[in-house]
Parts: sequence; structure tokens; C-alpha cells
Amino acid sequence: MRDVKEFLNSKKFSMIYLLVFAFITGGAIIGQAYLLVSIIDGVFLDDLTFREILPLLGGLLIILFVRTMFTYLSGRVGVRLGANAKRYFRYILLANYTENPVQASLKGQAGQKVSVTMDATDEIDSYFSQYIPQVIRSSIIPVMILIVVFTQHVNTGLIMLITFPFIPLFMVIIGMQTKKKSEEQMEKLAVFSGRFLDTLQGLVTLKLFGKAKQQKEAIQQSSLGFRDATMDILKVAFASSFMLELISMLAIGIIALEVALQLIIFDGISFFTAFYVLVLAPEFFTALRELGTAFHNGRSSMGAIRKIEEELVDGPAVHWGDKPIPKTDIPVKLELINAGFQYGEDQFALRQINTSFSPITKNAIVGKTGSGKTTLLHMIAGIIPTHGGGIAIDGVPLTKYKEEDWFHRLSYISQDPYIFSGTITDNIAIGSNHQQPTKQEIEEAAEQAGISDTIASFEHGYDTVVGEGGRGLSGGEKQRLALARAFLKQPSIVLFDEPTVGLDLKTERILQSSIEKLARTATIITVAHRLHTIKDADKILFLDDGMLIAEGTHEQLVQTVPGYRTMVSVQRGGKAE
Amino acid sequence: MRDLVIVTRLMMKEKRDILLSIFLGFIAGLATVLLFSASGYLISKAALQPPFYTLMILIASVKLLSFIRAFSRYGERFVSHRGTFTMLSNLRMTFYQKLEPLAPGIFNKYRSGDLLARIVGDVESLQNFFLRVVYPPIVLGLVFLSTIFFTCFYSIHIAIILFIGLLLTAVVIPAIFAIRQQTINSQVRDERAKLSTEVTEFLYGFRDLKIYQQMDNKRNQLLETSNTYIMEQEHEGINTLYNQSINNFVSLLVTWSVLAVGAYLIGQGQLDGVLLAMLVMLSITVFEDVSPMAVFPIHFNDSRRAANRLFSIVEKKDKKMVESSLFQQIVTAPTINMKGVSYTFLNEGRPAVHEVDLQLSAGSKTAIVGPSGSGKSTILQLLLKLVTTDTGKLSMNNTNFDQIQQESIWEAASVVLQENHFFYGTIRDNLQLANDGVTENEMHAMLKKVQLDHFDLDSHVFEKGENLSGGEKQRLAIARAMLKRGCFWLLDEPTSSLDAVTEQIVYNHLFQQAADDTVVLISHRLTGMERMDQIIVMDQGRVVEKGTFTELMDKRGYFYEMKELERNLL
Repeated sequence: MRDVKEFLNSKKFSMIYLLVFAFITGGAIIGQAYLLVSIIDGVFLDDLTFREILPLLGGLLIILFVRTMFTYLSGRVGVRLGANAKRYFRYILLANYTENPVQASLKGQAGQKVSVTMDATDEIDSYFSQYIPQVIRSSIIPVMILIVVFTQHVNTGLIMLITFPFIPLFMVIIGMQTKKKSEEQMEKLAVFSGRFLDTLQGLVTLKLFGKAKQQKEAIQQSSLGFRDATMDILKVAFASSFMLELISMLAIGIIALEVALQLIIFDGISFFTAFYVLVLAPEFFTALRELGTAFHNGRSSMGAIRKIEEELVDGPAVHWGDKPIPKTDIPVKLELINAGFQYGEDQFALRQINTSFSPITKNAIVGKTGSGKTTLLHMIAGIIPTHGGGIAIDGVPLTKYKEEDWFHRLSYISQDPYIFSGTITDNIAIGSNHQQPTKQEIEEAAEQAGISDTIASFEHGYDTVVGEGGRGLSGGEKQRLALARAFLKQPSIVLFDEPTVGLDLKTERILQSSIEKLARTATIITVAHRLHTIKDADKILFLDDGMLIAEGTHEQLVQTVPGYRTMVSVQRGGKAE
Repeated sequence: MRDLVIVTRLMMKEKRDILLSIFLGFIAGLATVLLFSASGYLISKAALQPPFYTLMILIASVKLLSFIRAFSRYGERFVSHRGTFTMLSNLRMTFYQKLEPLAPGIFNKYRSGDLLARIVGDVESLQNFFLRVVYPPIVLGLVFLSTIFFTCFYSIHIAIILFIGLLLTAVVIPAIFAIRQQTINSQVRDERAKLSTEVTEFLYGFRDLKIYQQMDNKRNQLLETSNTYIMEQEHEGINTLYNQSINNFVSLLVTWSVLAVGAYLIGQGQLDGVLLAMLVMLSITVFEDVSPMAVFPIHFNDSRRAANRLFSIVEKKDKKMVESSLFQQIVTAPTINMKGVSYTFLNEGRPAVHEVDLQLSAGSKTAIVGPSGSGKSTILQLLLKLVTTDTGKLSMNNTNFDQIQQESIWEAASVVLQENHFFYGTIRDNLQLANDGVTENEMHAMLKKVQLDHFDLDSHVFEKGENLSGGEKQRLAIARAMLKRGCFWLLDEPTSSLDAVTEQIVYNHLFQQAADDTVVLISHRLTGMERMDQIIVMDQGRVVEKGTFTELMDKRGYFYEMKELERNLL
């Protein structure tokens, strides 16, 4: 809730506006009642002529306008506040995601993060646009009315003062009841409400087993079950509004009775006073009751805010320097000195890796699933930080350099390259180090990556829209597109996460030959799953459980490391993951 | 509109609840109006020193009215919600009945995962149709008309003012607002879709964005889209607010007019002064209930859109699927012939399957292999008649597929798909799906065969089998298929999550049972291919090779290379 406070502090002006508007609205409500009663009193008892009350009528018209106007303005401030809050929280979220890159997207939580960024952020709205303005209104207007009533007729004021605490009291009691009730019913509700979707999703299975027709009854049953469970909860909620209504109605009734008796039996007050408090009483209770509805909205918004704040984890980010990387033709020498990385307390860690990669060599990282190969690749890429130790290029710590210069020299071909929504041209051009690569450059890159034929076969060629909302690409096509990006970039370091499954033969061949081509001018570091890649490597790093067990050539490792020997000798053809 | 008529007809099934909610709503509304008018009258009367008993009657009726009001409100809410949920249940059933004959063809047409979630959401949002669209205006109209009728006895002028006020606040202003809101609404939806795409890209493409230095660009672009979206929402919010304020002001204006005209009439001697307070209170109260009308157009449009979408899905019928085809029982292993078959998914330029020839003789065992996206699963969908061929010939036992009912194929088939659906319930429920007559012992034995004997028949299965691992789901699906005892086996990578040993055991049982049946096995892995009668190798929708394992290995072609590649995978 720290962020909410921070946000509201930055919006002091809006709060002041809301406060002022609430005072004016309260004044207008009192003024409206006053004029209304004066007019009726004048016409009814004092026999004023129509001409005589005209000024009063005019005044009333103005007051009505003021009341509407300021209610509107207050609502408007609320809507603004809600919009700004959404902007603020979405910005915080995105800034946080940007600073903590890989952890977020790697843990397979991207889907949940999308929903937080979209839905939870939208849900915040009502807290700021409705709840806060209503709280301000409800804490000012009833007090103003109460003061006026006390100046007019003390008894009525006392009745109000005694009855009004029952409203928040009942709200709390009933709020707790509903919560308990709904918690009890939660599981039931979840089952019932999911049943329809479950059946629809399983429709193919049901039909294949010839059971689709029978499901109708099951749907009805679960729907009715859902109804009954929901009604149980609603009953409590309805009872709550029943009680609230009854309390305010009874209070108003008591007030009416009181003033009527005062009026005729004790002759204690005038018609004017009696009518005046009677008109004010419902306004008093309405302002309180509205708080109840707003409170309900506010609570679900609070839940959304909590969800967002849980998302904000302060992970350490990579902090880059501003030293330019000297432009040379020879790729740099990479060294890892005691470099380690830990995902979190008691979680997987990569421990103190010491190794180096000479310029223009082919390096392979091997190890079992979960041994930390991809994490190591991310660390070398500089998209996750090192916890202790560090990475040096040509003897200088990597983080002293400019982020831009480093990424300009680096290509990363992942197992599942991301295809952005846009044209094929856009998707290749993203690899370029300068803003707009020429058409020719793009086509050459595609040619080298062996995807130009495939692109040519598309109806719109290079202008074909791919990615989200566009045409789907097969795994092999995505890999080749990523290669095209690398060819356009001409990097001096290539990080390559070799696919764990066999792709189509064409892509397999292209991958091999492309890496050969890139290897002529770059240092290649591959997380390897193919035997020929491994045999071909100048140096192999053998990882196990986050530790670098051994390094050397294939022959060396086969001879000296038993674990490595078992791993490569088992022909995995028959074994599953 | 036609779709809303269907919904309305469904709604009318719950006549009792509808009439009761309208009645109770009417009573509650009327009681409120009477309550406040009575207290206005009471106070005026009190000022005139009336006989005490008149006052007592008035006070008693004020109390009574407030009780009536509270109770009938409670009843109204209760009955209207109960009715609504019953209607939703009817709606689900009706919709399911309409959708059921169209599945699964309809899913292939849309190929979108969220179609189902949208259907569920649309059905759910129709609950507002009764609660906020249908009955509030009826109740409002009834209360108003009674109030105006009541007012006629005292002053026809004031009755006319009230009537004009009703027209303005319940009809004219909401209608004007509805027109304005429509364009804003669609803009909000468009911006939302755009933002959703961008957020998805940002989060899924994180690593690539970072390495290609596009992070800041993308984030700024995203914030910009988010801003536009929020601005549209703000616009929508302010427009709603504006409309409510105008409506409120008009209501207040009506009360003001009642007051002014009343005062004038009293001056003219045409109205008794004691009535003025009552009439003013009456006007204030009766217009309080108009405020829901401000949001009426929003709910009306939502309901209409939801109904349209729902029924447009079930209206489109696939011609080929409904053509007169016959149910024929298939009891022995079928022979299948496929000649020059092509199929292209909707909205995809490239055919998923292109001029495929395939012969499956009765009792033969065929494997289809190839990289992902090569069209293997589409072949299986064609064989199950889940999709129908665009061109080419497909026949079973020499009868054209067009003339065979889907159901007859399904009845004979034992199928394991890549994604198998399991229902919320128990292992028993999910196994019994295959065969109603299956005994406990048979189920136990089958669980043992697929190495799932650590499960009880009463073990819980969550929605979509979420509490089962990938391998467990696959084995359960195989068990279910084996219990069905079909003579036509269609298996789409049924063991991709199993280890080699378990795979071997499961396959041994399966092939033993299927010894005389026609089997089609789609496989990503190239192990165990020796036992197949023929292997079909596919790439990019075409058959590139076919033959037995030894033939293909000797040929040293595509299959051989794939096998080599797999051997080399670590």
C-alpha cells in the first residue's frame, strides 16, 4: 500500500479539490432544503403571492445547478484520479519488468504478468474514481447536515446521532458474514462455474466417446448448483441492504413522528423547522449508505493493488558503464571469473564459474537438463547479472562498457526465437545495428539463412504479417528467421541455444552451415544437444548442478570424465526427456 | 435483435419469477413514493392542528410503508436474482444443445483457444439482460404511471409535468447518450485489444527485445498505447458521468417546476396549500429511481453484442458435415484409402496437407513421422472426419467419407490425441467415459497395464487433469482408449512424455490388444518403427517417403537422415 500513499501524496491538489467540492455540494444540499422549505412554508402558511416567492425560486434554481455542477466536477476529478492511478501503476510495473529482464520471462509467468498489467491495473480504477471521492463526500456532507440539524432542532440531531452508527456497524458485521459465507462456498462455486467451460473444452473428447448428448443434464445440474451456492451468498448481502434500509427508514420515521408530535402537541417548533429537518434526514442517510456501495468496490480494487505490488520484486539488475568497446576486427576474449548467479533463496544457483573463451573459437556447453546451461548463456549475454565474480572482455569488466556497444556485437539465437507482430522485413530488420537496413541487406540475410525461398512462397512475400495476429511460423522457420537476424548483424559473439528436438532436415542443415559461416568471424558459444556440434567444438564446458565439472575437447573429456562419457555414449534416440 | 428475442423467449420460461420480481419491485417503488408523500402531507397537516386521530393514522401508515418497502425490496432482489440464474442455466443448456452437433468442426474453423472462454463470458454477461435491461424499465414505468395517476386527482398540471419529466429522463436523455457512447465504446475495445497485444509481445519477447536493444522503444510505445487506452476509458467515464449529471439536473428541474407551478396554483386558489409539500416530496422520490436508466443503454448494448456473438457461432453450419450421411456400424478393422487429399485451415494460405496419398489396409499398422508442422496431425483429423477434405478422395471400406457419418467413425475409433481432455471428477468418471459397461476389475487391470496402479479409481482429477503430470495424462488417455475397444486406432504422439521403459511396456499392451485392428500412430520419435507395417514420412504437408523400416533405412533418404539426427541428439 506504500505505492498508493505515494501516489496520493503526489495528487494533493486533486484531494483538495475533492474536499472543496464536497463542502460546496454539502452547502448546496443544505441550501436546497432551506429554500425548498422556505417556499413551501411561504406559500402554504404565510400566504405569500407567487411574485413574492419568485426570488426564492430563482435562488433554488441556482442552487440546484450548483449541486449538480459540483457533483459532476467531483466525479470528474475522480475519473481523472483513476486514470492517473492506472497510468502510474502500469508505468511502475513496466519499469520493474524492464529492469529485471530475464527472471520474469523465463519462469513461464509471462501469461500471469500480462493479466496483471492489463486486468489488475484496470481494476484499480474504482478505488480512486469512486471509493476515495465517496469517502471524502461521506465524511463531510453528513457532518454538515448534522450540524445544521442540531442548530434547528436538537432532538432530531440526537436521533440521527444515535441511529447512524448502526449503519457502519451493520456494514462491518454483514461484510464479515458475506466474506465467511463466500469463503465457505468458494470451492463449490469454482467447481460449478468451471463446469460449463470444462464441458465445452472437452466437447471433442466427449463426442469421440459418444457421450456429448448426456452432458446437457450435467450442465443444468451444475448451473443450478451454482445458482444455489450464489444465492446463499447473495441472501446475506441482500439481508444487509435490508437492514441498512430498515435502519435509515426507521430513523426517518422516528424523526417524522417526533417533529409531528412536537408540532401539534407541544407546539415546540415551527412548520418550517419540522419540514426542514425532515427534508435533510434522507440526504443524511443516503450519503452514509452510498459509502457502503463504494466500500465494496474499493475492496476489490485493493485486492488488485496488492496483486500488483506482489509482482514488483526488486531483483538486482545489470548496471552498465559508459566506456565504448573499441572497434576492432578481432572479436574480444571473454573471461568468466568466479561468476555465479542465484535465482533466489534456496533456489537453483550457478556457482563460481571460471573459464575463458578465446576469439573465433567454437565452444559448447553440455550437461543434463537443469544443470544451468541456459542460465550460463544468459549470464554471458549480460541479460542477468553476476552475483559475485564477473565477466571480463579483454581483461576489462564487461559492466564498465556501454550496454549498447555490447549488444551490437552479440547475437543470441534461442530455442524459441520470438516473432514480433509485424512484417517479415520488420522481424529481420530488428537484428540490424543501425536504424533502417536496406531491402537488399534484408534479402541477403534471408538468403544466407536459407529462408528466402519460404518467404517467396508466401503470398505477400517479405510484407507477410507474422507473429501475434499474423501467420504462424513453424519451429524451423522461426529458427531460420533468427539466423537471418544474426546474418544482418554480423556479430563477433554468437550465443546459440541449440534446439532439443529434431527440426526438419532442411533447417537442421541450414543451422549447421550457418553456424559454420558465422564462426569464421565470431566466437561461438553453443548450448549443445547435437553430437556433431560437440565433437566439432574447440572447447567443451561440462556442467552439472550449476557447477563447471570439467572443460576440454571431446576426446579429452571422454577419457578423463566418467560422467561425460556416460552422457555422450548413451544414444538418446530411444530415451525420453 | 433477433438474438435477443431468443434470449427473451428463454427468459419467459421463468414467468413466475419474472412476474414476482416485477410485482415486488412495483410495490417497493410505490411504497417509497407513498412513504415520502405521506410524510410531507403529515407534516403539513400537523401544522394545521388537525384532530389527533388523523395524525395517528398517518403516522401508522408511514411506519407500515417503510416496512413494506424494505421487505418488498428484499423480496424483489432475491426473486430477480434467483430467476436470472435459472435463466442462465437454461441459456447454457440451449446453447450447448445448439453447439453440440457442430463440434468439433467449429473449433477447427476458429482454431482460437479463447473462443470457449469467450462463449462462457458472453453467456455470463447475459445475466444483466434481465437484471438491468428488461425489468427495471417495466418497474419504473409502472411506478411512474401509478404516481402520475395518483397526482391527477390533485392537479392535472403537475401530473403533466411529471409525465414530461419521465419522458426526458427515461427515454430522451438515455437515447442521446446511447448514440454518443457507442463510438466511444468501440474505441475503448480497439485500444484494449491493441494494448493487450503489445503487453503480450513485451513480456514474451523480453529476451529478444533486450538483445536487439528494442526494450526502451517498445516500452515507450507500450506506455503510449496504454495512455491512449486510458484516455479513451477516461473519455467514456466522463461521458457517463456527464449523462448522469444531466439526468439528475433534469430530475431536479422537474421537482423545481412542480414547486413553482404548485406555488402558482395555490396563489390562484386552484390547489390546496397543504398538498404542496406532499407533491414536492413525491416528485423528489419518484425521480430517484430514474438514475439506473442512465446506464440502461450500456447494458442493453452489451447484452445485444453478447447474444449476437453467441448465436452467430452456432448459426454457421458446415454444409459438408450436415449432408445426408449414413450411420453404419463398423465392427471389423477398416480399410482406408486416401488419394490426392489436400486441406487448408481457414485463414491460412498454405495447405496443411497437400495431395497426400495413403493406403491403410485392414489390420495394418502405420506410423506417420516428420518434423512439427509437417501435417501429421491434420491427417489424423481428416481420418476422424473432424475436418473434411478440400480436394481429393477419402474412403473407408470403399465408401466415400462424405457418405459416412462422423459418429460411425468415432464409435469404431480408439483415439489418443496430443491434448487429451479430462473432466473434473475421479479417475473412474474419466475412464467410464470410454464404456459404460466397464467393470471395476477391468478398470483396475487397465490402470495396471499403463503403469498407473498408484492411482485409485476414486482419486480426484482436477479440471483439465491439472493435477496429473504430462506422462500420467498420456497414460490415462491410453487406458481410456484401450477400454473403448475400438477397431480403428488413431494415436497422436501418445507417449511423448513417457520414458523409454514405460513407453515400451505400454506399447506392448496396446499392440497386443490391437493385433487385428487398423492402427495409425503419429510419432515424433523414431523408435519402435520396426514393428510397423509401413512408415509415412511427411514434410511441409507432403508425403516425402513411405515404406517399411528396413526399406527406408536402406534407401538412406529423409527417414534415414532423421534417424541419424535423432541418434546424434544429446
